Amino acid sequence: MKTVTFFRLAMAAFCLFVVSAVSVPAHAETDISAIKAAPESIAMGAQYDGIDLTVHGTVPEGSDVVLRFTGPPADMHLREKGKLFGLLWMNVGKVAVKNVPNVCLVDSSRPFDQLGAAVASYRLEGLRDAVEVEKTTELPKIDVAHELILLKEQDGMYHESEGGIVFGKVVDGMQSYTAKLHIPSALSPGKYLVEAAVLRDGIIIGKNTAPVEAALVGFPKWLSSMAFDNSLLYGVLATIIAIFSGLIIGMVFQSKGAH
Amino acid sequence: MSLDLNLYLPIAGNSVNCLAILGLGGVVGLLSGIFGVGGGFLMTPLLIMLGIPPTVAAASDSNQIVGASTSGTFAHFKLGNVDFKMGMLLLLGGVGGGSLGVQLIKILRQLGNADFLISITYVLMLGFVGGFMFLESLQAMRKPTATKVEEAPKQESRYARAIGALPFQMDFPRSGVQLSVLMPLLLGVLVGVLAAIMGVGGGFIMVPVMVYLLRMPMHVVVGTSLFQILFTCVNVTIMQSWQNHTVDFVLALLLLLGSSIGAQVGTKVGKKLGGEQLKICLASLVLVVMVKMLYDLLARPDVLLAYMGGH
Repeated sequence: MKTVTFFRLAMAAFCLFVVSAVSVPAHAETDISAIKAAPESIAMGAQYDGIDLTVHGTVPEGSDVVLRFTGPPADMHLREKGKLFGLLWMNVGKVAVKNVPNVCLVDSSRPFDQLGAAVASYRLEGLRDAVEVEKTTELPKIDVAHELILLKEQDGMYHESEGGIVFGKVVDGMQSYTAKLHIPSALSPGKYLVEAAVLRDGIIIGKNTAPVEAALVGFPKWLSSMAFDNSLLYGVLATIIAIFSGLIIGMVFQSKGAH
Repeated sequence: MSLDLNLYLPIAGNSVNCLAILGLGGVVGLLSGIFGVGGGFLMTPLLIMLGIPPTVAAASDSNQIVGASTSGTFAHFKLGNVDFKMGMLLLLGGVGGGSLGVQLIKILRQLGNADFLISITYVLMLGFVGGFMFLESLQAMRKPTATKVEEAPKQESRYARAIGALPFQMDFPRSGVQLSVLMPLLLGVLVGVLAAIMGVGGGFIMVPVMVYLLRMPMHVVVGTSLFQILFTCVNVTIMQSWQNHTVDFVLALLLLLGSSIGAQVGTKVGKKLGGEQLKICLASLVLVVMVKMLYDLLARPDVLLAYMGGH
């Protein structure tokens, strides 16, 4: 197990080295393919209900774009459902999965089947390679990665659409594009990334990223810090306020009934 | 306009439509006012459907029930429908039974088949309680009053003699019954164990227990049940906030606003309905929930993975 970890680390270091070595010509590509996300910081106040993130960018004329909005990968613990006694569906086991982004939204400038195999890793099913299924006591009997993507799609945290990227005018051989990614309301506060892959003839010719940060503001921020930093006081207050509200509403109805 | 109706809940980590939450609270409050059940077995699954994580849904619901049952107890107290003595004894047993049930679940989880036991207990309990109440009330409603009176003492005598033989007899004037102190204590323990295993407040088991085993009149049962639920949920709310940070106070207040109004209306509706009608309505509700759970067990789920925390 340890040697595997070491090997992975070594691979990662090697990849990093290769990327930094190659990044000089790649930078030339990214310089000509610009990207900007608006808003760059998502304010999650009392009125927050998810937002439409607008992504603007420019790419060389005639190329295609695939966009992906993701967050940092995390570990998840899930229950696996199965049939018991060949009749009853219920939770039959636990599965631990690693490297799962909480959110993943994908869009493209053309249907995926016209873009070739190079974009496969940007699609939802592409997460299959990144997600690691932990081998617990017994091997899961289901396709965990596939079911995980289904589960997240049901929640609206994973979404894939195609053709949502609209191209604009061509200026000096550069074409602008715009896309709207709908950020779900269940987004957690944290740092996110919009990644763009620029393609021509099925080959990725450039990549670029734009950071997006989501943070609690106003009342939700206050309430959240209260619940986490003064949790006992918060619980007692929640109870007392509930009791008083109940009494007040009871009395209001009582006096109404007397009339 | 539609923007104003949405509210972001930081603990639940999602935004909700205020009207939907108020309406949900109202419906569940109405039921709890009529039947004296907490409504947790209805509210939590519906909140999950609205995008609230299971743990937050259950804990915030407890917070809401604190307010709703305060309001309900208050209304029933004014009508003279709360048997405090009986309520305290049942509560005492319930707290003990609850702790026992939590330990039992821990042991079962280690043995590995806890989920199976929980689901089966749930369906069997709901089916048994609902079916029994339904049939019993139906018979009582069909029979002319004369035959009922004639038959009642013969049926009661065996059970009455058995519980009459128990030591520590005590008078419960509010309920108009005389019982051994051991009865409410032991039944409280039993309901507490079941409630802990099933992860619910236990109102819908407690009500039939009070009606059939403690022989209390239906209207006193409802008030006393609410009084008892109040204490259980104060405890749960504080523990959940403190240990797990899963109580969303804003969500609870919204639900409370809806459910308090619902509970007030429900109390009045319940007063107008006869005892047998009340029983048969509650029985139908319990049976509907049971059928839904049974369906979930038998039908293949869309997704074969689930988040931790829910049942």
